[in-house]
Amino acid sequence: MSPLLSVENLRIAFPSRQGPVEVVRGVSFSLGRERLGIVGESGSGKSQTGRAILGLTPVSGTATADRLEFDGVDLRTASTRQWRKLRGARMSMVMQDPKFSLNPVMTIGRQLMEAVKLHGGKSEAHDKSIAMLEAVQIRDPERVMAAYPHELSGGMGQRAMIAMMLVTEPDLLIADEPTSALDVTVQIEVLRILDRLVTERGMGLIFISHDLRLVSTFCDRVLVMYAGRVVEELDARRMNEATHPYTRGLLNCLPTITGDSRPLPVLARDDAWLE
Amino acid sequence: MAFIDIEDLEVTFEGSGRQVRALKGVSLAVGEEESFGIVGESGSGKSTVLRALCGLAPVTSGRISIGGEPVQAPRDPAFYRRVQMVFQDPYASLHPRHTVDRVLSEPLAIHGFDRAEERVEQALEDVGLGAGFRFRYPHQLSGGQRQRVAIARALILEPKIILLDEPTSALDASIQAEVLNLLDRLRAERGLTYVLVSHDLAVVSHMCDRLVVMQGGEVVEQLTREALQAHATTEDYTRNLLTASEGFTRDPALQR
Repeated sequence: MSPLLSVENLRIAFPSRQGPVEVVRGVSFSLGRERLGIVGESGSGKSQTGRAILGLTPVSGTATADRLEFDGVDLRTASTRQWRKLRGARMSMVMQDPKFSLNPVMTIGRQLMEAVKLHGGKSEAHDKSIAMLEAVQIRDPERVMAAYPHELSGGMGQRAMIAMMLVTEPDLLIADEPTSALDVTVQIEVLRILDRLVTERGMGLIFISHDLRLVSTFCDRVLVMYAGRVVEELDARRMNEATHPYTRGLLNCLPTITGDSRPLPVLARDDAWLE
Repeated sequence: MAFIDIEDLEVTFEGSGRQVRALKGVSLAVGEEESFGIVGESGSGKSTVLRALCGLAPVTSGRISIGGEPVQAPRDPAFYRRVQMVFQDPYASLHPRHTVDRVLSEPLAIHGFDRAEERVEQALEDVGLGAGFRFRYPHQLSGGQRQRVAIARALILEPKIILLDEPTSALDASIQAEVLNLLDRLRAERGLTYVLVSHDLAVVSHMCDRLVVMQGGEVVEQLTREALQAHATTEDYTRNLLTASEGFTRDPALQR
């Protein structure tokens, strides 16, 4: 089976006073209909990788790759028209914070229906939107449809955003820290919803997060990024067999409820990892 | 009598004809040199307890006393020499146009401390930054370094009590470990009392001897670290929190 998405030698550079700085330096991976996790700390290039796949690299940056292919479409040379057909309809992205990513002056319902209408299906837009809100376990979809983003809690807003991204039934969903702004209990609920949609609809999911422990319990495969490179690729169930010192360090430096190591082991960085 | 004693604390916020009861009668007792944790979800009132304690939230009723004496309203300068707070977001809690030196010197000037020069350098040394950071602006520092400056600012008045409001939730996991170690070391060296608020049970269990779980403005359960580690909870809510913080578990219906 050919993969849904293949990325080879992806590089993203931003100009600076000292010349271009590469923030992503040769990332390669392929994705089937599975849950792939990308983990790394701030500045490791994980979000930029996700954005580049959707062609959303900021204009000041340049993204190059030897191969960037989504279901047979070469994304490097895609025209604006092709992008319009892909984005939203076949691949979409859930952002970190619903407070900043939803339009504050439009009701949730209008934003949801806009997505449906743009990608065909004008007549059933309302019903489809309601059904989608129910699918993300919003108990009172009619009220949420009429609500503005500020009238919803963080968890509800995030669910509404997931509904918006999924209402067009995309094949690939990129979730950039979709649960970092949420409480632990809500976080698990949101992940359940994502998990069910992946399983039921056979979606491909790229889950970007800084939380290695969470990712290892949720995803099938995990890429660990450090300073713009993938330093290790792991089967999520075999997290404990990680060999790269960075992955091991990340795993060890988290406090646990049962553990009692004091002081906590601190991650010692090694310049050799940059190569 | 406990060192920090809070009895039936109520905080009500009012605005545009609506009343929000953020705290509905919270009672806590924290011993001297103890590290005490408060856990709960957003909106449970856990930060409001800290803010009420240091005079940043309107107390509607209830009593707060520290070291056996009821606190004054408004708080007097002597209070702030004993109690200092470290805020959640190091990106928002430092003045963007003040250098580290100015941030640290200001409390010294307000409280009339001598040897300001020396104290600023010592405080930076204590949080592991060194004098080289003295004349930098916040934007020249990383998140972890900023949080260290915020901790230095709290420590510079030599307080006995430090209120920590989610001190590491804005930081990366690797940096979080460093900051937690720093806080642990400072407490051991100086005999500080901590009240730490966090939504992360693992952090609280690592840092605190005792903790309370809050929900909807009330304390639902009080636990010791040992009880937490043994999962010896009586409340469903605490149990849910515990399961949730152990990571994602697949829906049983989908595991086929």
